[in-house]
Order: sequence, then C-alpha cells, then structure tokens
Amino acid sequence: MTILIGLMLLVSALASVFILALDSKLSKRLAIAGSGIVLAIAILILVSSLLQGSLSMNESYPYINAFNISLQLQMTPINFILVLMTAIVAFAAILSGNPERAGVKTANTLIMLFEFSAIGLFTSANLFIFFIFWDIGVIALFFMINVLGSANRRYASIKFIIYEIFASSLLLLGIMMIYFYTPVHSFNISSITAAASSIPQSTQELIFILLFAAFAVNMPLFPVHFWLPDAHTEASTQGSMLLSGVLTKFGAYGMLLIFTMLPIANKLAVPIAVLAGFSTIYAAFVTMMQHDIKRVIAYTTIIDMGIILVAIAAMNAFGTYGAVYAMFAHGVTIALMFLSVGCLHHIFGSRDMKVVKGVVSKAASTGYSFIMGVFGITGVPLTAGFIADVLIFIGAIQAFGLAGALPLVGLLMIGAFFYLVVNRSFMMTKDPSQPIEYIGMEEKAGYAILMGSMLLFGIFPFLLLGFSNL
Amino acid sequence: MLIGPFYVAHAIIVLMLALIIVPLATIPRKLSYAAFLASSALLALILLLSIYAFLAGVDVTVFTIFHLYSFSEFFLGLFAFALLLINALSYEHYPNFTRFLLFFSFAIVGMFVVAMANSLVTILLGLELMTLPTAFMIMTSGRHHIEAAVKLFILSAIAIGALSFAIALLFPYDLQLTLSPVSAISLFTGATAASGNYLLILSIILVAAAMGFEVAAFPFNLWVPDVYQGAPGNVTALLAGINKKVAFVALMEIFFVVFIQFKPIFSPILVLLSIATMFYGNILALVQTNVKRLLAYSSISQAGYILIGLAVATQFGIEASILQIVAHLFMVIGAFAIVLWLESNNLRTLDDYNALGSRNRFAAISLAILMLSMAGVPPLIGFIGKFLVFSSAIDSQTLLYLAVFGIINSFISIYYYAKVIDRMYSGKSHDMLAMGKYTYAVVVIALAATILLGLYPGPLISAATVASKALLAI
Repeated sequence: MTILIGLMLLVSALASVFILALDSKLSKRLAIAGSGIVLAIAILILVSSLLQGSLSMNESYPYINAFNISLQLQMTPINFILVLMTAIVAFAAILSGNPERAGVKTANTLIMLFEFSAIGLFTSANLFIFFIFWDIGVIALFFMINVLGSANRRYASIKFIIYEIFASSLLLLGIMMIYFYTPVHSFNISSITAAASSIPQSTQELIFILLFAAFAVNMPLFPVHFWLPDAHTEASTQGSMLLSGVLTKFGAYGMLLIFTMLPIANKLAVPIAVLAGFSTIYAAFVTMMQHDIKRVIAYTTIIDMGIILVAIAAMNAFGTYGAVYAMFAHGVTIALMFLSVGCLHHIFGSRDMKVVKGVVSKAASTGYSFIMGVFGITGVPLTAGFIADVLIFIGAIQAFGLAGALPLVGLLMIGAFFYLVVNRSFMMTKDPSQPIEYIGMEEKAGYAILMGSMLLFGIFPFLLLGFSNL
Repeated sequence: MLIGPFYVAHAIIVLMLALIIVPLATIPRKLSYAAFLASSALLALILLLSIYAFLAGVDVTVFTIFHLYSFSEFFLGLFAFALLLINALSYEHYPNFTRFLLFFSFAIVGMFVVAMANSLVTILLGLELMTLPTAFMIMTSGRHHIEAAVKLFILSAIAIGALSFAIALLFPYDLQLTLSPVSAISLFTGATAASGNYLLILSIILVAAAMGFEVAAFPFNLWVPDVYQGAPGNVTALLAGINKKVAFVALMEIFFVVFIQFKPIFSPILVLLSIATMFYGNILALVQTNVKRLLAYSSISQAGYILIGLAVATQFGIEASILQIVAHLFMVIGAFAIVLWLESNNLRTLDDYNALGSRNRFAAISLAILMLSMAGVPPLIGFIGKFLVFSSAIDSQTLLYLAVFGIINSFISIYYYAKVIDRMYSGKSHDMLAMGKYTYAVVVIALAATILLGLYPGPLISAATVASKALLAI
C-alpha cells in the first residue's frame, strides 16, 4: 500500500483549485510547481521500479460506501507508461505551450484539472471511477477549446462536446450493463475480467459494441473522427497538446481494457483490425489534402491511433506493449509538434504551408523541433516511435500474418508527405517580407523536455520495458 | 432519546402554525427584516428537528392524519432547507417581503402537510394549500404574471378535481382513506378480481393524471413553460425546485403505499409518462432562446428522469428517484437564483447572456457547473442521481430500455446546456454586474451541495435508502 498515486491526484486537484485564487503570474508558478511535483513523483516511481525490477502498486480510498465503490487505483507497467506520458506532456504544456500569454490562469486551472483526470483514468482499477475521470477530462478540454481557442472555437467546442458526450453516454450504459450482468456485481476491473466469461454471449457482444463505439469516437477512428480536425485546429496550443497527446489515449487505453476484459474480443479482433487499418489509410489520404500545418498534424493522430488499435487487436504481448509504447511515443511526439506549430503560428502569424517559408533559418529551434517531431511520428530509429513501431508490427504480423503490416503503408505515405512539408516550409529560402516574433526560453525548455523524452525512451527502451514482463 | 417522539411531532406542527402567524404579525408594521428573520428561524428549527427525528428514527402518528417517519422526516428536512434558500431569495427580490410571506407561509405549510400526510385527504389538502397561494405569489410581480397565475390556478384546480374523484372512487375499498395498502376487495360488494375492478383502475389512472399535472409530466405539462416564464424568478425557483418535488412525494405516497399491490397496473403508466416527458422536455429545450423557458423545459425532462426510478417501482428505484429529486432541487434552485438576478438586470434571452463570463466570473462559473450537473456530468450530484436512476432501470432486468432512453436524453440535453455555457464565454465585456448578497449566498450553498454531494454522496445515499425502505414498510 503506497500513497503515491493518490498524492499525484491530490496535488493536481489542489493546484487546479488554488490557481483560481491567484493572479496570472503566480498562477503559472503554482501550476509549474504542481505539475512538476507530479512529474517528480512519476520519475520517482520509475527509478524505484527500475531498481526493484518490477512495478505493481494498489491504492484504495473510500468513496461511495453504500455501493461498495471505492477509489481503487492501480499502477502496472502499462498504467505507468501512460501516467509518465501525461505528466511530461502536462508539464511541458504548462511551461511552454502559451507563447501568446493569453488566458494564463484559466488555461493553467484547466490543464491541472485535466492532468488530474488523466492520471486518475489511467490508474483506475474500477470502471465507475474510470467513467468519472473520463468525463472530467472531456469537460476540462471542452472549456479549453471554448474559452481559449481561436476564431472558430465555439463551433469546434460544441462539436467536440457532442461527440464526446455521445461517447461517454455509450460508455456509461456499457459500464452499467457490465455491472448488472456480471454475477459478482462489481465495477472492479480485475473481478470483471475473472467473471466476464459467465456473461451470456449476446449481452457480451452488446456491451463490447457499446464500449467499442465509445472508445472509437474518442480515439478517433474512421467513421466517427469528424470532431478531431476542428477541435485540434481551433484549440489553443496547450489545448491541442493535451487533446492529441493525452485525450485520444483515453480511448486507446479503454480499447486495451475491453480487449483484455471481455472474452468476446477474440471473435471481433479481425474485423476491428481491418477497420483500424482502413482508418489509417483513409486518414493518410485526407492528410495529404491539407495545407494548414496544424490540421496536417491533427490528421496524423488518426493514422497513429489506427495503428495503435491494430496492435491492440493483435492481442499478444508484443502488440499490447507496442500499443502502450506507441501511446507514449505518440503523446510526447505529437505534443512536441503541436508546440512547435503553435510557436510557428506565433512567430509567423500563419500556419499555412504555402505562406510560411524558411522556418529553419529564421526560427531555428522551432524548425528543428518540428523536424524532430516528424522523425518521431514516422518512427525513425533512436526515437521512441521507432521502438513502438517495431513492437507493434512484430505483434501484428504474429497475429494477422503479413497483412498485419499493411497499416505501415499509411505511415509511409504520411512520412513522405511530411518530408514535403518540411522541404517546402522549413528548408526553402526565407521570405524577407514576413514579420517575425521571437519566442522565449520557456518555449525552448518545452522543446527540450519533449524532445529529450522522445529520444531518451527511444535510445533506452529498457527504461520503460525493463520492469515489464515482456 | 433526548426528546420524546410525541413532542418532536407536535413541535414541528406548532412551528408550522407559527410560520403562518409571522406575516400576520408583521404586515401592519412593515417589518420586512423581522419577518424574514422569524420565518428563517422557524424553518431552521423545523430543519433541525427533522434531522434529529430522522437520526433518532422517530416513528409516530399524530391526530391520525399526520405520520412522522423516516420518509417524511427526510423530505421535511429537505424542503425546510430548500425553503430557507427560497426565503432568502424572495427577501432580496421583494421590497415588501411581508406581503409575499403571507402567501408563502401557507404554501410552506401545504408542503409540510404533504410530506407528513397519513391519509389521502391530507395529501389533497396539502396540495391545495400549496398550489393556491403559489398562484397568488405569481401575481405579485413578473412579466405576464396574471396569465401565468390564471393558468396555474385553473390547471391545478382541474388536477385537484381529478385527485378528489380518484380518492372518492377508492372509498369502497378503504373507508378510512388512510395511507395504507388497499386490496382489491370492495367492502360493499365483495368483488375481488383486480382486472375487472374498473373503479380501482380508473382511480389509479386519475391519480396518475392529477399527479402528472403536479409533477409536469407529458402530456399534462403544457402550462409549465408559460407559468415558469411569467412568474417572478424566485417563485419559478419555488415551483421547479420544491412544488414539483412535493408532488413527487405525494405520488410516491399514493402509489407505493396505497396502490402497492397494483404495481403491474401503474408501472406501465409511469413508464409511458417518463419516456414521453424526457423526450418532450429535451427536444423542446433545444430550440428555446429564453433562458427561463429553457430551464423550464430542462426541468420537465428532469421530471422524466425522476419518473424512471418510480416506474421501476423497486426499493432501489425509489431510492434512486429520491436522490435525483434532491439533486434536481439543488441544481434548479441555484440556477434560477442566478437567472432571477440576471432577469432583474434585464438579461433574459440567450443573446443577453453573451460575455457573462467576463461580466461576473462567479456567476458564469456557477451556472456552468450547475448546468453540467443537470446534464449529468460526473462528479457532480446530477450524475449520481442519473446514474442511480438508470442503474435501477437496468437492475430491474425488464426495463433496460428505460435506461437506454434516459441515456439518449441525457445526450440530447448536453447540446442546450453547452449552448448556454458557450454563450457565457463568448466575447468580452467590461460592463460588470454585481450580485446581491443573499443571491450570492444561495448560489454558493446550492453550488456547494451540487459539488460536495457529488464528490461524496455516501451519506445522502444511505439516508435515501432509509427513507425509501421506510416508505415501502408501511
């Protein structure tokens, strides 16, 4: 029995509340301190589990005694990788994600609230609190888009909330059905996993489809992805970092849960993998039609999430750990890319790849960060994305044969397209008429943190996989 | 026990009567503040006494028409607490508070009478005592208030008529008309078959119709938006927050005590009412531009959620409905407190709410949280209520579709709540708005209840369990 997970939740929740009472300068300091403490705790857990060679933490706090629901938290290697990713992204977002310095206080409150929900969700050992944290996160990001977003934010935020609440309604129904149809009447994930085979097939199928649809909206997957481009484009830089970096992982983590929890998943794995693969290729084609760089990055999220779902549907150790590692790599990398695009917008006043020219020569740190992000997304060796892709495609080929490697096509296409973007906007000669703004040390520190973790866990993957039983 | 159960019950009745005397004593001298203090103190005393009685498990019958037991004590306490809030709101709203209190005190007594009723006639009396003064209260001020008052008066008169007829039809089966289960055996003719007993079935249907009016269930709710919009904001808060909840208490007392043996007959009626009410409220709320009307339709849909638990008609269902009643009571009083204050600043439509976030930060955040709670977003109390209500439907095995309809509705509702929130944070304005201190206090209390009871609902759920078990044990 430890208290570290509870401490992380407590720190982020308290920071979120107290920031409201401070002015914007102090609020940023408090937010940095709060998310820094959370990150420090995560690193502490990492170090101690590396020393011990294993990681397994369980915590439980009283919540609703009348229904035997308690705040059960668990930390296995899978949970931990996602928590570490959340802590890194949130810290970087608070530190650097706001080059315009607009709405600092509101943004910091919401980021801390979102960090609270994300850590709670990734560590929850109980579907009821999983749902609660899910909705808190969605609402925090709704405000993030609605209050702090750019010109078209109101349309984008309403669209976002409608899709997400639709997902969470399905989720709620599914969770309640699980509770009442498992003989043990429990929300606890491990006891549901143990008892799930006694749920009748048809009911199980219904539950699986409900939950799958909910998570597919959140991930997002091909036919239900329409909220994503608008939400990502209209959100502030910090909002997009969290949306794409962390929120989409809610759905991916949920997928991982239902695939391990419900035995019916065995039957449905192949069609789901086909859908995910199609989603990947489809998104790759759509991406190539975009010329707003932020929109391009938004669409790459769909590609990567499709690949992650293929890995989850493979249902073997390589696939599962590959998916989790890819979630980590994608979270960190996409946050880096959104951060650099946010700064790019701040520097050049535009994100259109036809307008922006000569980034590398005019704003070197931003330009190189973006290029590093491209490396990470496309899985160049030495980045975390490479490790993830290797694991994923070993797992997928084990499960589906060579067809499992097909989603690579999407990745290749997007890689090629990105090099075109980089070539056009970043490397080409500069346009001397463009006005330039400079960015401060904080943004550069954010680049360093995200790039550093991308490389660190790409070069030394045993840091995260060493204590898992892969 | 510190005080005997007999004394507790009598003390509550005496305090109720004292409430009526307060305005009579203060009107001639225009002692508004004194009237406010006295009425608040009396309500607070009733609140404390009912909490004490609930904790001590008092179960006593007084004059054969009042029955003080866990269920009634729970609602006595709840109503007393909510009435304290409405009292503060009204005091700030009216320059001449005593005149308002004259009607208000009668309505309060009516509410308490319904909560403590031990016979069908008492329920009828209590409902009448509550509704008539409310019509007068509406007439005191507000836009289109005469129309609203007349509508409420006529329609509630029809409802009371239907209820009296239903009670009269029950007479052959229960000469005492006390709150106790009736059996299908007519005391006059000895007829037994429930299916052929048209008098009883007609009585059930009439009760459902009358209660449909009172709780604003579709298709008996066409008066709601007009009356809510026409009435002054504090009376709207009273109507939506308490009057309807009192009607739900009456409904529970009649169906789950008197008609408990006829569950197969009344349960389908409640199922239909519930589905129709949810869809009607939510779909019409989508197109409203006046915030008060929007909230009126939203509270219609909330009545639909409450009806789900009652339609399930198990102990868990009743418990869930009680929780949803508590949840909606706090949310709607908080929301109408803000709406009333904005209305007094001439802000009525959605367009007027633009940039409220920069004009008064606290109000915007509070209204946003209250609306999210109404939409059923965790970890707020609205979520707990809805979760339990839907759970009870799934738990019943046969009514799974009610939970599905409920969740569909809950999804529809997010659109209009998000629309209001979106308006409040669109644009900037430097034209600040100041909130009166009583409104502020009421909003803070409602907000605290919404958040804290949502974060830690354990004690409330236990209390609801005790109350629902007590109701079914009669």
